[in-house]
Amino acid sequence: MKSEDVRNTAFAMPLCSPSYPIGPYRFVDREYMIITYRTDREALEKIVPEPLEIIEPTVKYEFIRMPHSTGFGSYAGSAQVIPVRFRHQRGNYTHAMFLDAHPPIAGGRELWGFPQKLAAPNLNVARDTLVGSLDFGPVRAAIGSMGYKHTALAPEVVLPTLEEPGFLLKIIPHVDGRPRICELVRYYLRDIELKGAWTGPAALALYPHALAPVAELPVREVISCVHLIADFTLDLGEVVHDYLG
Amino acid sequence: MKAEDLRKTAFAMPHHNPSYPVGPYRFVDREYMIITYRTDREALRRVVPEPLQFDDAIVKYEFIRMPNSTGFGDYTESGQVIPVRLHGQAGGYVHSMFLDDDPPIAGGRELWGFPKKLASPTLRAERDTLVGTLDFGPTRVAIGTMGYKHKALAPGIVMQALEEPGFLLKIIPHVDGSPRICELVRYYLRDIVLKGAWTGPAALSLYPHGLAPVAELPVREVISCVHLIADLTLDLGEVVHDYLAETARRPARG
Repeated sequence: MKSEDVRNTAFAMPLCSPSYPIGPYRFVDREYMIITYRTDREALEKIVPEPLEIIEPTVKYEFIRMPHSTGFGSYAGSAQVIPVRFRHQRGNYTHAMFLDAHPPIAGGRELWGFPQKLAAPNLNVARDTLVGSLDFGPVRAAIGSMGYKHTALAPEVVLPTLEEPGFLLKIIPHVDGRPRICELVRYYLRDIELKGAWTGPAALALYPHALAPVAELPVREVISCVHLIADFTLDLGEVVHDYLG
Repeated sequence: MKAEDLRKTAFAMPHHNPSYPVGPYRFVDREYMIITYRTDREALRRVVPEPLQFDDAIVKYEFIRMPNSTGFGDYTESGQVIPVRLHGQAGGYVHSMFLDDDPPIAGGRELWGFPKKLASPTLRAERDTLVGTLDFGPTRVAIGTMGYKHKALAPGIVMQALEEPGFLLKIIPHVDGSPRICELVRYYLRDIVLKGAWTGPAALSLYPHGLAPVAELPVREVISCVHLIADLTLDLGEVVHDYLAETARRPARG
């Protein structure tokens, strides 16, 4: 292959059959269970990177089903997201994320900087309960539960949060091990179509795991929860801070 | 977290608990079945990037067991390596690789540029046969077989192949979709302790798959095969060609 063709076609590895396609990345019937809990301020201070600021010591623990995802397929995820402020703009910093499919892990890490690892998350209705779980290998790391569609939520309660930007810390090393990319990235969800949102009684338990340390942001009190279904497009991002610059 | 602390400690994502540790990456009892086959010259021309060059239309199909790997664990790999030259230096260009473990996939891609995907490779002795398989989801894409330790090989010729450099095409996009890194990387295996090498009768079948297109380098004839066990350290690499340095950056993709 001519080096000019390499230059003109290079998007992702492998060159001849990239692990993820070029977007747009549209998600249809994306289903979330988001349990918001209070944690220790000190624990958050250790992990939220400047210039992001902690608003209050809360974490959103998410279980996500993505049955129809352009270029990524049918898969599930689980994540810890921290409400933050960036120069007076409210947003959500993704601290940890676990998925069971490889294209969105490779693309998520390399394009945006999503801190994704391979694990076994689940979100299912078990009779009367919406149940989310996260297993890392043979070990349970998280389990969330919620009454199924107990109380409908008005769209205007849910949409403003979905419209807030997400923040990520994209880190890619150089081939000699030095940091090559170390950037704060901002991204938005676009063309959001909310198909339903509910709340109800909820509980969340996190268990210690060496490689999935979700329990390092301990659950002190469940504050609220939401179950929602939406279509949207995950847009590409922009660098808002370069730590190496 | 202070920006200053982040700068000093940043190595990989997630920052607080990276997907792979800092090396060195030592492999103990790494076991290979490598089946060398002739393919179509035209097919290789489409996939081997300049300035790499190839003489014969040859591919090495590898199945690898890594039971004891520093920082990566216990896992298996399968892939295609093409014998090439860079400015006269002989080496192996890694064209495709499939693994069943996330840390070496993330670290392999992001540090070196190994073209790795998640799949289900296996390598094991089944009674009289060393059998390697590669499944992608529910679909079989490769199966290799070899008589088990039929004939020992002298270390000299095997060591020579292991000591040749590997070449990789490292590609990482920018957050706007434009190419951020597009480099030819060279790496070496170091401190190799060869524990045994054998050859015997061998066969290889490749099947078409949309996301694991190993059959696009078709098997025309099996040339040779080797089964080997070694300890080795996978060293970090160096950039030997920067594809983006030749031109201004392309505009963003939408």
